[in-house]
Amino acid sequence: MQTRITKIDRDKPEMLEIRCHSISDEVREIIAFVKSRQGQLTGTADERQYEISISDIFYIESVDNKAFIYTKSKVYETRQKLYELEEMLKEKHFLRVSKSTLLNLMKVSAIKPALNSRFTAVLFSGEQIVITRKYVPELKKALKGDS
Amino acid sequence: MTVKEFIISRVQIFFFLVTLILTASAVMGLVYQPDMELRYYHFFSPILIAACCVLPTCVTYYKKEPTVRQYIIRQIIELILIELAVMFLITPPEEIEKLLFYLVLGAVIAVIYILTMVMMWLQKVQQSKKLTEQLQNLQNNLAK
Repeated sequence: MQTRITKIDRDKPEMLEIRCHSISDEVREIIAFVKSRQGQLTGTADERQYEISISDIFYIESVDNKAFIYTKSKVYETRQKLYELEEMLKEKHFLRVSKSTLLNLMKVSAIKPALNSRFTAVLFSGEQIVITRKYVPELKKALKGDS
Repeated sequence: MTVKEFIISRVQIFFFLVTLILTASAVMGLVYQPDMELRYYHFFSPILIAACCVLPTCVTYYKKEPTVRQYIIRQIIELILIELAVMFLITPPEEIEKLLFYLVLGAVIAVIYILTMVMMWLQKVQQSKKLTEQLQNLQNNLAK
């Protein structure tokens, strides 16, 4: 795929146009990346596509190689992989807290102890997410402002 | 769990055990032999017993994160190993019936072990309070 960048005047709106033969996974990935930079992710629910604001996301979970976006009241499926989302959202205060979960730290109301060197993140929605031992040092680092 | 993390946890258990064994010795001594005089070398006993209790618990090392059920089973195994180690190390005084002595000793060890776990849990509660505080600071700073 060729890339072409054209400088435009400040009074004109910026736009990204993709010209492609078909909407492949690669194209979808590019679209998802651009949207995430703009603070949005694309997800499907009830066979419809939705634009989800990143600030509305509580956590993202991977189940059987599929990633699901959880907001306060809805769950969306996304085509992106958890590691791609982790990379995209690390500057938006999303943190990997277990092998399968990416947590939005802005949606956590408290951290509580759990058995087995784990912690539990209590979300503003009341849901509880397990923070496994392996990811506790990363959490401490993020909260200290090291990352 | 890495070997380093495991060693740190064993050192933690060791110090908790020293404190609690010392307390238990004082209590049992007051009950059974209140007139007995101690020499300075007796103060090494809690350290030696705690060290001997920690060593067998090294078999509970795990690399992969266990489930809650596996974790509880491991804790029970750990307690049994500690009980056996102490019972092997301490011989009952002649004037006390053996069975009664071992029963009391077993109960005291179980209490000490549970207290150790409670202390470690309280430490974790403290840690999570600190994390929550840091989290709230982060959220407040970003909201400004």
